[in-house]
Amino acid sequence: MEYQWDFTVVWRNSHLLLWGLLGTLKVTAAALALGLPLGLTVALMRLSRARAVSLAAGVFVEFFRSTPPLVQLFWCFFALPILIGVRVDSFQAAVMTLSIQSSAFFAEVFRGGIVSVERGQWEAARALGMTYRQLLRRVVLPQAVKRMIPAFLERAIELMKTTTLVATVAYADLLFEASDIAQKTFRPLEVFTAAAAIYFVVIFAASRVVQVSERRLARSGESTAH
Amino acid sequence: MTGYRWDFASVFGNWQILAQGLVGTFQLAALSLGAGLLLGLLVGAGRYSRNRLLHWPATAYVEVFRNTPVLVQIMWFFFAFPIVAPFQVSAYIAAALALSLNTGAFAAEIFRAGIQSIARDQWDAARALGMSYPQQLRRVILPQAVKRMLPAFTNRGLELLKMTSLASAIAFPELLYAARTIATVHFNPIEAYTSVALIYLAIAWPLTQLVYAVERTLRRQE
Repeated sequence: MEYQWDFTVVWRNSHLLLWGLLGTLKVTAAALALGLPLGLTVALMRLSRARAVSLAAGVFVEFFRSTPPLVQLFWCFFALPILIGVRVDSFQAAVMTLSIQSSAFFAEVFRGGIVSVERGQWEAARALGMTYRQLLRRVVLPQAVKRMIPAFLERAIELMKTTTLVATVAYADLLFEASDIAQKTFRPLEVFTAAAAIYFVVIFAASRVVQVSERRLARSGESTAH
Repeated sequence: MTGYRWDFASVFGNWQILAQGLVGTFQLAALSLGAGLLLGLLVGAGRYSRNRLLHWPATAYVEVFRNTPVLVQIMWFFFAFPIVAPFQVSAYIAAALALSLNTGAFAAEIFRAGIQSIARDQWDAARALGMSYPQQLRRVILPQAVKRMLPAFTNRGLELLKMTSLASAIAFPELLYAARTIATVHFNPIEAYTSVALIYLAIAWPLTQLVYAVERTLRRQE
């Protein structure tokens, strides 16, 4: 028996899929906006000379890198609300989990970038009488961040792929909308294939941007920190 | 925060469910790792080939599986694939297919990068000794390349272990699904999810330390 493909289902529900894609982008942007500053903070803590501070940051990074993000999400969605007695909706749980999870990875990128700035730069800045804060902001971070750009973009793409997990707690992202449409129309083959194609287009385009930025940096003589 | 009484007894009273879940996790991870590495080697060689009929499909496969979310792949194999598949697709088969193909795509890139990192002269020298292409690869290139690829592979193994938790979304009884079952029956999500998080940590943490150790050793040798 030959299967009759019917992609008109996808076309008729395209507004729902686009709505889902918007949800995906919203979670990605929110998690990125919170995850980056948190990652920088953790990286600076990890580089701190106070042992207790750097140890705490190390444990944080190792914990969130070594446990599956879906377990973290379930914990935030099902366990945390009982523990603190506050309602947490699926968007809040998703943003909380993904920003903390990605911050652990961003922290490693920041740390790699900061460490890659030559000792001489630090010493020169200090010789000019800059405080630690000034030295970081004016001398070290501007150089480090440039080298880190490809690694950051790569992590941002990973983050976007990870946002699909929020569909399991019923947040209306692209994957959730696709499951919903598939169930209602009995056309899972077409709908899931279309959803995969949309993800592919967005993520593939983003990966190309990463590759171009990597080539540009390589040409300007900056190695990339991974 | 105050006043909550932690009760881990209700979780570990169900240790059989957890043990079963752990077995499911390991089974899925081991099968996908084995199949993925083998596939990755074949596809990696295909991408390296000058023959377009090999090069193009290999590249398309790698790009598709690297640029779509793994949960979408799992859902596709569980909900969409059975319609065209000539056989029954269980949750285990769907998850194993998705995770093997995903791991294969990433492994192919690791193999390719590793093989390309070997200096041109090594190939030339092997060819000068009269070796055929498979011989060059097997006797000269791969033994050197595999060593360099070790940290990347260990890292992939770690990612794979974490990815197996996604199979719970299609009700495959692995570790996270076990926690879900226990939490639903005993109303103890805090303890259930905390416990499995710690179990995952206990398995994955030694693996990350291994990655660091391998990286350090290799850096010292090179």
